Amino acid sequence: MALLDKKSKKAFSDPLMSNNPISLQVLGICSALAVTVKMDTAVVMSLAVIFVLAVSNTVIALLRKMIPGKVRIIVQLSVIASMVVFIDLVLKAYFYDMSKQLSVFVGLIITNCIIMGRAEAFAMQNGPWRSLLDGIGNGIGYGGILIGVAFFRELLGSGTFYGIQIIPDSFYAAGYQNMGLMVLSPGAFIILGLIVWAQRLIANIEEE
Amino acid sequence: MEHYLSLITKAVFVENILLAYFLGMCSFLAISKKVDTSIGLGFAVIFVLTITAPTNWAMNKYFLQDGALAWAGFPDVNLSFLNFIVFISVIAAMVQLVEMILDKFSPTLYQSLGIFLPLIAVNCSILGGSLFLVEREYTLLESTVFGFGSGLGWLLAIVSMASIRYRLRYSNVPSHLRGVGITMLLTGLLSIAFMSFGGIQL
Amino acid sequence: MHSNKYTLIFTAVLTIILGFFVSTADSSLKDMREKNIEADIRKNILSSLGFKETLESPWTNERVEEIFSESIIGFVVDSAGSVIDGKNPKDINPDKDFKEFPIYKRVSGEQVEGYSIPISGKGLWGTMYGYFSIEPDGATAKGITFYSHIETPGLGAEVDKPWFQNNFPGKKFVDPNGKLIGIQAMKGGVDETSPEAYHQVDGISGATMTTNGLNSFLYEGLKNYDPYLSKIRSSLSL
Repeated sequence: MALLDKKSKKAFSDPLMSNNPISLQVLGICSALAVTVKMDTAVVMSLAVIFVLAVSNTVIALLRKMIPGKVRIIVQLSVIASMVVFIDLVLKAYFYDMSKQLSVFVGLIITNCIIMGRAEAFAMQNGPWRSLLDGIGNGIGYGGILIGVAFFRELLGSGTFYGIQIIPDSFYAAGYQNMGLMVLSPGAFIILGLIVWAQRLIANIEEE
Repeated sequence: MEHYLSLITKAVFVENILLAYFLGMCSFLAISKKVDTSIGLGFAVIFVLTITAPTNWAMNKYFLQDGALAWAGFPDVNLSFLNFIVFISVIAAMVQLVEMILDKFSPTLYQSLGIFLPLIAVNCSILGGSLFLVEREYTLLESTVFGFGSGLGWLLAIVSMASIRYRLRYSNVPSHLRGVGITMLLTGLLSIAFMSFGGIQL
Repeated sequence: MHSNKYTLIFTAVLTIILGFFVSTADSSLKDMREKNIEADIRKNILSSLGFKETLESPWTNERVEEIFSESIIGFVVDSAGSVIDGKNPKDINPDKDFKEFPIYKRVSGEQVEGYSIPISGKGLWGTMYGYFSIEPDGATAKGITFYSHIETPGLGAEVDKPWFQNNFPGKKFVDPNGKLIGIQAMKGGVDETSPEAYHQVDGISGATMTTNGLNSFLYEGLKNYDPYLSKIRSSLSL
C-alpha cells in the first residue's frame, strides 16, 4: 500500500470540508462550545481532540480483530478515557493555567461523540494507518470549526484576537461596544448555526 | 429543604446543562425532531443522571479522592486521576441497565429510541453532571438533587426544541439552513430566553 | 464469535495495560503538577500584596518561589487572635480546621508592608475565591484580587477588572471606634460627601447579587481575623 493511496487520502481530506464532523455529521458539539469564548482555549482544546482522536483510532484499529463484540463499546471507551486522562495530566503539568480554564471540559472529550463515532464507524473496519489519517482529518475538521467559532466570539465579544486587542481604541471612543451576547452561551449557538449554514451553502448540501 | 429547592431551580432554569454548558448536544440535535421520542429520551436521561450522580459521588468519596482509601488502610493513596475512567464505566453500566429494563417493560419506547440509547453513555450531560459534582464539592443529597435537576432541565430543553421544530415544518426555511443550522439558531434563542432566569434565588 | 473466557481475558489484559499506562503518566507528572498548584496559590498571594509581574521577569515557578521566600511570611492565627506557633498555612485544611486561619505577611527586612487573607463566598453563580490585603495598620484595605469565579462576563465578572479592584485601596473596614464594619460595594456608586464613604466602594451596575455576596463574605472573612487585626491596631495606637 502506498503511503497515500487514494482511499487513505480521502480518509484524511473528506472530513475537512465535504464530510465535516461538526457541520455535516453533526457530532461532537457537546463539550466544545463552552471553550470557544477565547481563541487560546479553543486551540488547546482542538489539539487535545486531534491527539486523542488520532491515537485512539490507531489503537482501536490495531485491536479491531481482537476486540470481542460484546464488550466493544466499553473497550473503546476505556482506550479513549486513558488517552484523555493522559492529556489532562500533561496539561496540568505543563500548562497549568490552561488546564484551569478548560476545567472539566478536558474530561468531557471522552464523551465527545466524534471520538466514539469514528472508533465505531471507521477504526473498527479499517487498518491502523488509514484510521490514523481519518482521526487526524476529523480532528482538524473539528478543530477548524471550533477555532472559527472562537474567532468570531472573541472578536465580537472582547474585541481581541488571541488576547491582542485589534478593535482600535478610537472605535470605542466613537461609541462602539463589545457585544456581550457573544461571550455568553447563546452567542456560541448562533455563530455555529451561521457557520453551518455558510458551509452547507458552499458545499451545496441540503437536508430533507 | 429551601437549599435543595434552590439547587433544583438553578439546575433546571438558571444553569441548564444543555443551554448554558452545551452538554448533551449530540442526542439533542438528533432526537429533537419528534416530540414523543424526545420525551422518552428526556426521561431516560433524568433516570440515568439521578442514579449515576450519587453512585459516582460515592465512587469519588470512597475510592478516588485524595485519602479516600483511608478506610481500607491506604490513607496516602490518591487515585483521583482515575476519575474519568471510573465515572464513564459506571455510566456505561447504568445505561446497559436502563436498556435492559426498557426492553423488558416498554418495548415500544425501546424500539423508538433504538440506536440512541447506547448513545446516552456518550451523552456528555451525564459525565458532565458527575464531573461538576466533584468540582463543586456537593454532598450526597446535593448530588442526587443536582443530578435529577440537570436531567429535568435537559428534558425541558429537548421537549421545547422538539415542539418548536414540529411547528417549524410549516415555515419556509432557506434550504441550506434546514436541519442543524436552523436548530442551532433556535437553540441560541432558547438559551437567551433561559437567561432571563438568571439571578433567581429561592 | 469469541468465547466468554476470551472476553474476560481480553478485558483483564487491556485493563492492566491501560492502568499501567495511566498510573505511570500520573506518578511521573505528579511533582510538576503539585509545584504548579502551589506556585499558582503563591502568585495570587503575591499579586494581592502589590507585586506585579513584568515582561522582563515573568513569574516562572522559580521566580515566584524566590520572591515568596524573600518577602512573604505565612502563619496561622486562632479565633482569639494569637499566632499558633509552628503551624504553616499549608497544614490548614479549610474543611476541618474552622478555628484556624492562615494569613500572609509581606515584609521588607524588619518592616511589615501588609497582610493578605484568603476570602471566598457565594456570588451569583457560584463560589468566588480571592485574597484581600490589608495595610500594616490593620484597618485599611490595601487591595483585593479574585482568582476563581464564574460570574457573568460583563456584569459580575467585573470583580476581577482593575477599575473595580482599584476602588479598594485606602478604604477602611473598621469604624472610628475600632469596630469591624467591612467594606460595602454601593449600587449606583459612592456618594463622596456622605460620612459613610470611608468604607464604601463603587458597586457594579447590574450585578446586585454578586456585589451583595461580596459585601457579606468579605465581612464574614474579616470577622475571623478581627481579633488578630485588632491586636495590631491597639499595639500601633499605644
